[in-house]
Amino acid sequence: MIYDCLIIGGGLAGLTCGIRCASNGLHTAIISGGMNSLHFSSGSIDIAGYNTKGEIIKKPFDYLKTMIKENSAHPYAKTGIPGVRESLNFITGKFMEEGINLNHNNDMNHFHVTTLGTLKPTFLSQESVFNTDVADIANSHNKIAILNFKGFRDYYPEQTAANLKKNSMFKDKEIILGDISLPYYLNTEKNLHEFRSIDLARIFETERYLPRIAEEIKKASGGASIVSLPAFIGIRNYKTIRSKLQEMTGKFIYEIPSLPPSILGLRLDNALKNSFINLGGEYIAGERVVSGSIKNNQVEFVTTRNSGNIPVQSKFYVLTTGSFFSGGLAAGFDNISEPLFGLKVKGENKRSKWYNSNFFDRKSHPFLGFGVETDSKFNPVSGSGKTIKNLFCAGSVLSGYNPVSEGSGGGVAVSTAFKCAERIIKEIKND
Amino acid sequence: MIKIENISFDHCIKCTVCTMYCPVSQATHLFPGPKASGPDAERLRIKNPELVDSSLKFCTNCKRCEIACPSDVKIAELIQNAKWNYLKIHWFRPRDFFMSRTDLVGGIATLFSGIVNFIIGLSIVRIFMHLFLKIPFRTVFPKYEKTTFRRIFKKELRWSQSEYSKKVIYFHGCYVNYNNNSLGRDFVKVMNALGYGVEMKKEKCCGVPLIANGYIEKAKKNAVYNIASLQKGGGDSKIVATSSSCTFALKNEYSSFLELDNSGIADRIEFVTRFIYNEFLSGNIPKMKPLGIRAAYHSPCHLERMGGVMYTLGILKKIPGLELVVLNSECCGIAGTYGFKNENYDISQSVGKSLFNLIDKAVPEFVITDCETCKMQIEMNTKYKVLHPVTAIAMALDIK
Repeated sequence: MIYDCLIIGGGLAGLTCGIRCASNGLHTAIISGGMNSLHFSSGSIDIAGYNTKGEIIKKPFDYLKTMIKENSAHPYAKTGIPGVRESLNFITGKFMEEGINLNHNNDMNHFHVTTLGTLKPTFLSQESVFNTDVADIANSHNKIAILNFKGFRDYYPEQTAANLKKNSMFKDKEIILGDISLPYYLNTEKNLHEFRSIDLARIFETERYLPRIAEEIKKASGGASIVSLPAFIGIRNYKTIRSKLQEMTGKFIYEIPSLPPSILGLRLDNALKNSFINLGGEYIAGERVVSGSIKNNQVEFVTTRNSGNIPVQSKFYVLTTGSFFSGGLAAGFDNISEPLFGLKVKGENKRSKWYNSNFFDRKSHPFLGFGVETDSKFNPVSGSGKTIKNLFCAGSVLSGYNPVSEGSGGGVAVSTAFKCAERIIKEIKND
Repeated sequence: MIKIENISFDHCIKCTVCTMYCPVSQATHLFPGPKASGPDAERLRIKNPELVDSSLKFCTNCKRCEIACPSDVKIAELIQNAKWNYLKIHWFRPRDFFMSRTDLVGGIATLFSGIVNFIIGLSIVRIFMHLFLKIPFRTVFPKYEKTTFRRIFKKELRWSQSEYSKKVIYFHGCYVNYNNNSLGRDFVKVMNALGYGVEMKKEKCCGVPLIANGYIEKAKKNAVYNIASLQKGGGDSKIVATSSSCTFALKNEYSSFLELDNSGIADRIEFVTRFIYNEFLSGNIPKMKPLGIRAAYHSPCHLERMGGVMYTLGILKKIPGLELVVLNSECCGIAGTYGFKNENYDISQSVGKSLFNLIDKAVPEFVITDCETCKMQIEMNTKYKVLHPVTAIAMALDIK
């Protein structure tokens, strides 16, 4: 009844690791305290978006060589470049099995439009955010429409338009702003004070109002053949909805990632959880690991909030608890720590060195680079300085990289988790 | 006044993930969702308790919001407190009164079970109940047994229990006592196979249906009675329950919601699958023969909240010849007495729909779940018979 692999943290890294372990027949469980950060994400997966000067990277796989050369402690240096490639192929394959196509731009980065109307380089996006047709269509049409659902307070098309206009790609385009609405729906349903992306996604999800919505889109888009909506056009059946709307309106429709809760992220989360559970993995939601016991440089067991006298045991453990927000790292008054195992952490203890005074500093903030220190196999080091052989670390709990300034969060999560799974599978098979 | 221990709402970062996972706000826009009803409204309620939204009654207390919350806010608890501590009930509602007195009604019904089962099955009676008691016509009530489990235990099972050197105290709950005697028998069989004799203390309804219907004072009375009764004698023996919701009440809600001191029993209370898991873990695994069945497992919301699903899965995977399809976590929609009310019927059905579809897709021979009301809902809405994990083990023990 002892697991082969117990993963602490159920985000992109934890799920990737879990899926790979479970698909190799390992008895795998994921303990996840609260929903993961995919729910706050853009739903795109970056590998490397910017270099150290803050310039945009066009070919991320080429740039990885430079990245590793400049920073030998970078997680990518430990996974290796072929490892990154292999892991992304693996995860896009899994998404495909669950009905989500993640597109890339012939191995180059592409841009997705943010809520604020800036352009952000990324590597993999859902087809409603990026597909290879979009550039052609954008080049051949001069009008684009940016629409919103009337009353939706988490999105302001005026802001998107104003920022897009500053970009050379959109400078000469005519941007039409408009609202779509469903008077019938708004009149009959109450409690619209909680009018978030999830509520709208559920209206779309029913497919009941699509003909009406298509009419509204046609009316509001003023002849533009490219129409953007905030990302809420359905959850599980967004593909069908998008193609139906495109058919009904005769327009090209794409989604702009919105503020949390992120529907684009929710789709990825649903797909990965499905995949994991269908492979026989146990996803334990709402439970929190509170401590771990280390004996003879091995994790002996972990305790959860409810485990009481029955500690949870596994042959191998993977720590994918994330960074500060999710509690993978903790900040005291003048120290940084890893709270579950007391692992050795790389970071500054002096509070004034945690951040830059400009919130939107191009270099991001130093604290985002803090994290657990590991060897080349992603085994961490305990407080007493010994390597822990049956514990692996993956994702944003790791040190050695800055996901925001590099635009590398998703790629690091997927590739490091994939590598950890590979090591565990190998060791179990050797047993 | 603001209670210092109850300020978890301040940790809410307004991410709305709880509302994403709320089965009720998915089913109806009459409920604004846990974020708006819980941490958002709490700020207003502290100033003026009257500022309570009447939509709180739609909350089923499934606690999926708490499972989803990345910031550990006790959302369901906030809503439950607001619902019953501020929204006082001033009128007598016969339906809610009888529905929440599971032990009173069950005690009487089992005496005349033949007649009662016949009458509540009649269309004319169900029309009457639909119109006057506001109980949905399509509800299929669980059948009442001819006798209570306590009487069976006293007559047949009690005598052999002293043969075992170790013992557990069984909290059977109302459902086993009045509606499903065979689960009680299965429990005794499994405990005996593990080398434990079973003892029972006097007990009243754990209080879950009372809390859900707003009879907080009566729930407190029952809780005080149960705490005293379970505490008497028994030493360190574990108190084991086969109902996940009873377990959650005894272990958690008595202190966290009813604000009673249950420290004398809280550590000894175990949900049955966790108890068995621990025995299996130490190598105490009885001889089971291959079952040769395919079953779909549904995880009840409250068991998930207790972190108990891993133990149930752990023991189910130890049953030979049980092909298990673990269903994605979805609420069945019944939420105790919630789905048995006209005003909630459509919501309850709509919530359960994804689960029913998942079950159909799995094409099992049986469904396995730990909770009795989930069982009722699944049996009402799918063609499958629902087993308790303990029954599945008992079946594997029985095979010759």
